[in-house]
Amino acid sequence: MAGRWKGGGGEVVGSIYSVLALVLILVACVELGDAATAVDVYRLIQYDLSGAPYGSRLAGLNHHAGAAPFAPGADLSRTVVILPVRELNLTFLQEYIISKQPLGGLLLLLPQDIHHKSAGGNKSRNFGLLRSILSELEQLLIHVNLPYPVYFAYEDDKINAVLADVRRGDATGQPATATTGGYKLVVSTPEPRKASSPTITNIQGWLPGLVGDGTTQLPTIAVVASYDTFGAAPALSVGSDSNGSGVVALLEIARLFSRLYSSPKTRGRYNLLFGLTSGGPYNYNGTMKWLRSFDQRLRESIEYAICLNSVGSWNNELWLHVSKPPENVYIKQVYESFSEVAKELGVTVGLKHKKINISNPRVAWEHEQFSRVRVTAVTLSELSVAPELLQSTGGLYDTRHIVDETAIHRSIKLVVESLARHIYGYEGKNIQIFADNSSLAVNPSYVKSWLDLLSRTPRVAPFLSKSDPIISALKKELSDHTDEVHVQHESIDGMFSFYDSTRATLNIYQVASVTFDLLLLVALGSYLILLFSFLVITTRGLDDLINMFRRPPSRKAKAA
Amino acid sequence: MTVFHFFNCAILTFGPHAVYYSATPLSEYDTIGTSVKAAIVYLGTTLVKLICLATFLKVPENDSFDPYQELLKALIGFIDVAGLYFALTQLVHRNISQNHKFQAVGLGWAFADSVLHRLAPLWVGARGLEFTWEYIFQGIEANSNLVLNLSLAALGSLMWLRKNKPRTLIPIIYACAGVLATMPSITSYLRRALGWHPPKRPSM
Repeated sequence: MAGRWKGGGGEVVGSIYSVLALVLILVACVELGDAATAVDVYRLIQYDLSGAPYGSRLAGLNHHAGAAPFAPGADLSRTVVILPVRELNLTFLQEYIISKQPLGGLLLLLPQDIHHKSAGGNKSRNFGLLRSILSELEQLLIHVNLPYPVYFAYEDDKINAVLADVRRGDATGQPATATTGGYKLVVSTPEPRKASSPTITNIQGWLPGLVGDGTTQLPTIAVVASYDTFGAAPALSVGSDSNGSGVVALLEIARLFSRLYSSPKTRGRYNLLFGLTSGGPYNYNGTMKWLRSFDQRLRESIEYAICLNSVGSWNNELWLHVSKPPENVYIKQVYESFSEVAKELGVTVGLKHKKINISNPRVAWEHEQFSRVRVTAVTLSELSVAPELLQSTGGLYDTRHIVDETAIHRSIKLVVESLARHIYGYEGKNIQIFADNSSLAVNPSYVKSWLDLLSRTPRVAPFLSKSDPIISALKKELSDHTDEVHVQHESIDGMFSFYDSTRATLNIYQVASVTFDLLLLVALGSYLILLFSFLVITTRGLDDLINMFRRPPSRKAKAA
Repeated sequence: MTVFHFFNCAILTFGPHAVYYSATPLSEYDTIGTSVKAAIVYLGTTLVKLICLATFLKVPENDSFDPYQELLKALIGFIDVAGLYFALTQLVHRNISQNHKFQAVGLGWAFADSVLHRLAPLWVGARGLEFTWEYIFQGIEANSNLVLNLSLAALGSLMWLRKNKPRTLIPIIYACAGVLATMPSITSYLRRALGWHPPKRPSM
């Protein structure tokens, strides 16, 4: 009986111990999420281009904050430099980057108002300046290897207060280090990992023409736009103009023609092929894969292809980029039909010829991929010069408000009208098929809603999964208007590899310095000693206090 | 560094109790048992108080002063006094003098209060990177609380344990007890009805 009781007691003690251990573990694991400020931050892209490292190579951040201007020769290897883009001194940054000075980290503050349409001449001039600074900054950061974390954040009240505080601290002399307190910026993310086999997804829709008597093979016209983006901050590159505007235009063109093609009476004698391609920033890699997947007959049936690229922020002039000489009969015909409609719309369309150099891997325009497989193609764009690699691909400044809805509206009208005249053989006749206020008019709210959606969705291909919502949405939209929608998944060709962790949360802590803690300890110690002495003296008398510090032998002697 | 800060705050919060125990004759007469008993009584009292608060008080919807609720709050405040009465008079203590008894009870009471109210926030908060003055103030508050509890125990011991009380002091003693028990209601009245705000603590 007693033994059983004992055994039970042992069990009870054991369970108490385990509960105690559990409680201790729980207590020790209490997460410390008590930062004064938590800010969403977006990391600079990190990628390898044929093995060479580019972009920000680190993600984890745990250093004190500092703000410009710095004393020359100051050691910033343990400082996170906060730079507001609004007052950015590009040469300063360039110096640091070129001389490969180590920084603890770099936090670039983007102005909030790149999201708001600014009114008034002065503001828009400021905005133009900001835009050029942003694009310069972007090109600078994309093409260098930075061995420290670089983050973008939007200015807000909290972070501005921190910045002002940091500046005040810096102005009073010593920069913030562990011994003077200040702010500590902490981003705790795992080490960025290489994205495993990034995929690119092409979506194609097909509107079959009316097969008439005798003829079995109808000619095809392709309308193509590349939908993905590339920018300094992958989580921020929404690419409203490049190439959100082209995507929107393509969707609206598909919608308009689907209305015409729904009835056999108005169905044209051309097949229409709509292609939303990915991999645009990487030499139109996706377009190449897409074209390769065509069978011979389809490829030969394509009469010409129109690629839409950045058609959302032009004033009066669009460019038709071609790679075949303008004397080519197809080119001539397309150009003439475009310029005819353009004249009616009161805009001009210029023709730019740029020869393809087959040995050069750079593909500047999407139509060059078509030309490489001997398909006649043109690119309609507001850009007059071919962009360099990773340029004009939807960067930081390319947000919703730089896009002009009326410009997209006119681009759509231009393309759709000239296509329709070609399909129905109305060339040279002044017939508006898609006249405003008719049932076939361009729908401004449709354009606007798609533009808004695309301007909210970062679309850097390596970070889009195969079933990403935006891809599903584009696919669904195309399948609403066209038949036989195909989705093609491919992997990006070996040159590029990307690293994940594109967004994180930055915690800003106001920290005390070590000296403060030491001083506090000294003060507390003396307070306790004083308290002790005071209590001993008042309750037992001064002699007792003195006796306490006597040698023990005296006690022995007392005992003896 | 942050563990350092935690350590500092813990010293400030719990140090004075230990110093008080070791510096005064309490340690010589080995009154730790009395203090522990008082702490256990405090625990029970707090539990009863919390249950009463949760049962009888409504969460104030607006910042107005409600006399009925405040009266209830004051009555519930008297549970503390009852607990202290129990600890001082009903517990069987080893034969120690009244003088040491109230000190031991007050000390145990204050220590239990500190542990219950301050240890967990200190552990969770003071180890964080973020620096605030809050935990240092909390430690100072624990110090003043120790003084308050000791005086409260002294008051109780005067009221209930001393046989030959000076006649003139009796009303003062009871008035003090009354003020102590109704202090939360008074401050709440000041804050809500008269719009008085206690001075803000300095921030860094």
